Amino acid sequence: MIDWAAFLIVSAASLVSAALVVSLYSLGLRLFTTAGRIPLVGPHEFTGAITVLSPKKAAKQVKRARKAAAANPLSDAQKRLALYAGCVCFILCAVAVLYGVYLIVPVLHA
Amino acid sequence: MPDFSLIIVLVVALALIFDFTNGFHDTANAMATPIATGAMKPKVAVGVASILNLVGAFLSTEVARTISGGIIKEGDGGVLITPELIFAGLIGAIVWNLVTWLMGLPSSSSHALFGGLIGATIIGVGTQAVDYNVVAAKVILPALIAPVIAGVVALVATRLAYMITRRDVGQPDGRGGFRYAQIFSSSLVALAHGTNDAQKTMGVITLTLIAGGFQAVGSGPTFWVIAACALAIAIGTYTGGWRIIRTMGTGLTEIKPAQGFAAETSTAATILASSHLGFALSTTQVASGSVIGSGLGRRGSTIRWGMAGRIALGWVMTLPASAIMGAFAAGLALLGPIGIVLDMVIGTIVIMVLFRWSRRNRVTHHTLLNDIDDAGRVVSIKKTPRRLSRSARRKVSL
Repeated sequence: MIDWAAFLIVSAASLVSAALVVSLYSLGLRLFTTAGRIPLVGPHEFTGAITVLSPKKAAKQVKRARKAAAANPLSDAQKRLALYAGCVCFILCAVAVLYGVYLIVPVLHA
Repeated sequence: MPDFSLIIVLVVALALIFDFTNGFHDTANAMATPIATGAMKPKVAVGVASILNLVGAFLSTEVARTISGGIIKEGDGGVLITPELIFAGLIGAIVWNLVTWLMGLPSSSSHALFGGLIGATIIGVGTQAVDYNVVAAKVILPALIAPVIAGVVALVATRLAYMITRRDVGQPDGRGGFRYAQIFSSSLVALAHGTNDAQKTMGVITLTLIAGGFQAVGSGPTFWVIAACALAIAIGTYTGGWRIIRTMGTGLTEIKPAQGFAAETSTAATILASSHLGFALSTTQVASGSVIGSGLGRRGSTIRWGMAGRIALGWVMTLPASAIMGAFAAGLALLGPIGIVLDMVIGTIVIMVLFRWSRRNRVTHHTLLNDIDDAGRVVSIKKTPRRLSRSARRKVSL
């Protein structure tokens, strides 16, 4: 009656796919940061529940990010490599999301 | 038989009302986390969710064909569900959805619908008409499993996200960048929701039309049914169940962008995996489990277990409570036309009372904003902030 095999498969599939997508995106962020392109995305007007940035704090962060980027020990070629690798991670992530859309829309796979 | 078509019109109207409540009840599943981290403005978030629900409803009609899913033994040798019983079941489901909304509890709308129909069937036909094995396997067991799977997946995903982006203290880690990703992950959840939940109402309406002889047996939902259901759920979603968004976004745990992204991705992955491997899980329960899991995954975050307990209690109550209401409504409806009128009057009064009650402490996206702003003011800045340079403003758009 209770289909334990299906339950196991569902858990494994969700675990693997979620872990993959999150890892790829995190790796992309990490590589961008390494390359000196630190993504600073402030809360969108609605100043989120947690991060309340005053403009001063925000300016400080931008400054710190610039400083960190300037003090980057990597050579230009290494930075460029990290940047490209980061892009590849984001693209793979986008592909995973598109696969999700493909799964949602039955017309595409029926 | 004018009497017969009148009840069908009533059922269709009630089904659309249920669809509307389903929409605003479930906005939180997709949009609570991006609103909480500030990835999207509240109004933009519910707008996106509403459009994706509208689109999603047109994409698939597979679920609509198997709505009752064998829970109520219909067909040869089984029982005939009359429109009166569906009518009663819908009243039970709508009232319970409004009660949980008023309490700000995310509870499964499908469970409310099943509960209402089960209750009405027990009164109308008898206890033998419900297949309890199917209820256990399809409704109760998934309800226990869904939050656990989603919670574990979200925990692992959150840990990974923090581990991979970890840098030395003082070094910028770029975790704010997860906000971009949140827009996509939450949209995916909203789309998946649209393809699933509007279907249930389509299924109910189609079932009624077939029972009334307006449609051939075994045919799928017609275009006007699909369009009406899609619109009802989209309008409901746009109305935004702000109470439930508040519970999911700030009531369970503080959510940071990395957690929000991990939670939404886990929700999307779990729902997609389950619906494709034949193990339907409730979106609401998966989403709540993910939020708790992501809270457990971040070091130093706390979970408000009291709130989690209230939500769990709400889940346990959903099936029996809506069944009792459905049964009560069915008892009246079986009295004949007078009963139906009584049902409608009582239902309207209850809905009005609940609505009046909700006006006492309104929760809209404005109050939501104020709550958060007040929280910000406590930690806030003493000096007047200096104006940012243009390039800095572009980078950190506050």
